[in-house]
Amino acid sequence: MRKKILIVGLFLLAAVLLSGCVGATAWPGLSASGDAAYLANTTAVHAVNLKTGEEMWKFTASGGFLGSNPSLFVTNPVLTEDGSLIVLDSGNKRVMYALDLNKMDVEEKRPVIRWEFSDAEGHWIAAPLILGNRLFAPNADGNLYVLNLQDGKKAEEPIRLSGKENQTDRLWAQPVTDGERLFVTSLDHRIFAISLETYEVLWSQQLDAAIPGAPVLGADGMLYVGSFAKKLEQFDPVSGEHKSVLDTNDWVWGTPIVDGDNLYFGDVQGYFYSYNTKEARLNWEPVKLDGAIAASPLILGDRLLVATELGDVYAVDRNGAAEVWYHPDKEGKAYTTPVLAGEYVLAAYLESDYYLVILNTEGIVQRTFPQ
Amino acid sequence: MKNPSKPTQVQQPQLPEGLGFSRESFKTFGVIALLVLAFIYWPQVVAFMINLLIYIYSLVGHNFGLALILFTVLIRILTWPLTAQQIKGQKAMQEFQNDKEWIAIQKKYAKEKEKQNMEMMRLYRERGINPFGSCLPLLIQFPILFALFPAISYAIGSGPLSILNLSRNLYEFQNAAALVPLNSKFLWMDLGLPEQTNLFGLVNIPLLAIIVAVTTYMQSKLLTPPSANPNDQSAAVNRQMTIMMPLMLFFFSINYASGLSIYFIAGNVLSIVQYAMMGKVNWRNLLPGGGKK
Repeated sequence: MRKKILIVGLFLLAAVLLSGCVGATAWPGLSASGDAAYLANTTAVHAVNLKTGEEMWKFTASGGFLGSNPSLFVTNPVLTEDGSLIVLDSGNKRVMYALDLNKMDVEEKRPVIRWEFSDAEGHWIAAPLILGNRLFAPNADGNLYVLNLQDGKKAEEPIRLSGKENQTDRLWAQPVTDGERLFVTSLDHRIFAISLETYEVLWSQQLDAAIPGAPVLGADGMLYVGSFAKKLEQFDPVSGEHKSVLDTNDWVWGTPIVDGDNLYFGDVQGYFYSYNTKEARLNWEPVKLDGAIAASPLILGDRLLVATELGDVYAVDRNGAAEVWYHPDKEGKAYTTPVLAGEYVLAAYLESDYYLVILNTEGIVQRTFPQ
Repeated sequence: MKNPSKPTQVQQPQLPEGLGFSRESFKTFGVIALLVLAFIYWPQVVAFMINLLIYIYSLVGHNFGLALILFTVLIRILTWPLTAQQIKGQKAMQEFQNDKEWIAIQKKYAKEKEKQNMEMMRLYRERGINPFGSCLPLLIQFPILFALFPAISYAIGSGPLSILNLSRNLYEFQNAAALVPLNSKFLWMDLGLPEQTNLFGLVNIPLLAIIVAVTTYMQSKLLTPPSANPNDQSAAVNRQMTIMMPLMLFFFSINYASGLSIYFIAGNVLSIVQYAMMGKVNWRNLLPGGGKK
């Protein structure tokens, strides 16, 4: 009888552990402030001291029977002016937390939770946008949630974004604003412009393919975004008038970065582009890097840093000359946009012994996390 | 000219004697070779599964739930001969467990395991039973079953990495850009999320996970033949599995994407239907005490 109970018990334990094994479905989120990096890495958000590489605290919200309901943190943590850190759990509970960085919960050894928001029914993939005392959070349930930053309560009814009735659009990218409008892209092939005054949809455009990244406002005042249609798309922010301005070699995932009249971005085949918005042409032939580019580039002085799926970080100059700037000594995948934190450059890794590599501006490793 | 009414004797290919290999040995080597090939070409096996699933999805009006069910049906039809062979092997083994001579041998050599094993092998030979007869067809199905899991997970695409992996596995003709993301809505569910049903506005229950557990339990009970032999260890294992498998899949289903639960349910129901069509379902097993002979 005891043997039977033992076997059943072991089987159940295996089932619970197995059900808790959620494989990575997204890459880490990363942000930094002062001497701290905030890394949203699957089941936890880690605060890492950049000077020492040590973990300052860890936030996890796993729960359920025997911890079988794990958290999934993948969006970039967002810092607010009043010292809160907004982190989003995309696990089964789908809760947004505001952590008070000024108050530590001594028992839990992590910041006190200022508020939490749990009304969303879909995954959180994108970071929210903060404008004044409002927080705009896009969710995969098709809603753009508008919350009060102070208490996390709904400031407005959620803005439901959909091209068709009875259908919801999956919102996977952080909204962008020009001060009067919000621009939100959807994985379901659409882009929306929303009035910041009335919260009404001003215009929307249907494309041929998904738009996973956020749009960007170019120096020419136009809105640009890459798509799975292998194109760079351009929109008039006022009228929504659309045209495809560039054919790319493959899907464009990351948000293009603006540098004067130029846009820089990569595709998932590893091509890196420099597009001049003023002259509507490529500055140079796309540069082929060693792996897929899902991240946005980071401007570092006169060069751009580009992370690739194979883990290398490239430095590309304004003339299109590329070289490996950092090559990790351990295997790992880099899909996350590198972050500049004072004198350091931070690179987050998936499927690696290191979640985070802290580099100096010459590409020399200073510290790793875990060490 | 052959007389069509006269049945012709089918000549079984005979293996040359003296090589020391039986037909069964060749079958076993064949299965091992297939498994090794599947292991070597694993990414291609998974990619094929994904493309088959997505192709069905595009045929049924972009309804992923329906595509999953049809996909399961198709896989069951394709593996039907293997399942039939497996059932045949299981039946032979089950009958062997209830064989009076074997029961007597077990009693006689209860303390001499080596002698008991020798007698068992003798009986296998005499009765023409292959002890791996039910196991080999199951082994061939393993790559298919294991490939299904990543195929469904990638196709559901609940995160950026899943979509990136999906796009890389789609064949050129699939028009990935237009298809992605797949429509994950099916009935009241989002197939990319674990399912919760609100009951009368009061409480959320994992309805789909419960259905998974119930159908898994029914499948185990219905398809397990009764055993008269009290020493039949496989029957004891079967009884334990009848309880444990539903519990395991229940825990799995409450935490994982509901698309996988749809696959489990469709698989369970189809197994019952398949066995019923072959007359192998023991409906009495569902009644209390019905499994006893």
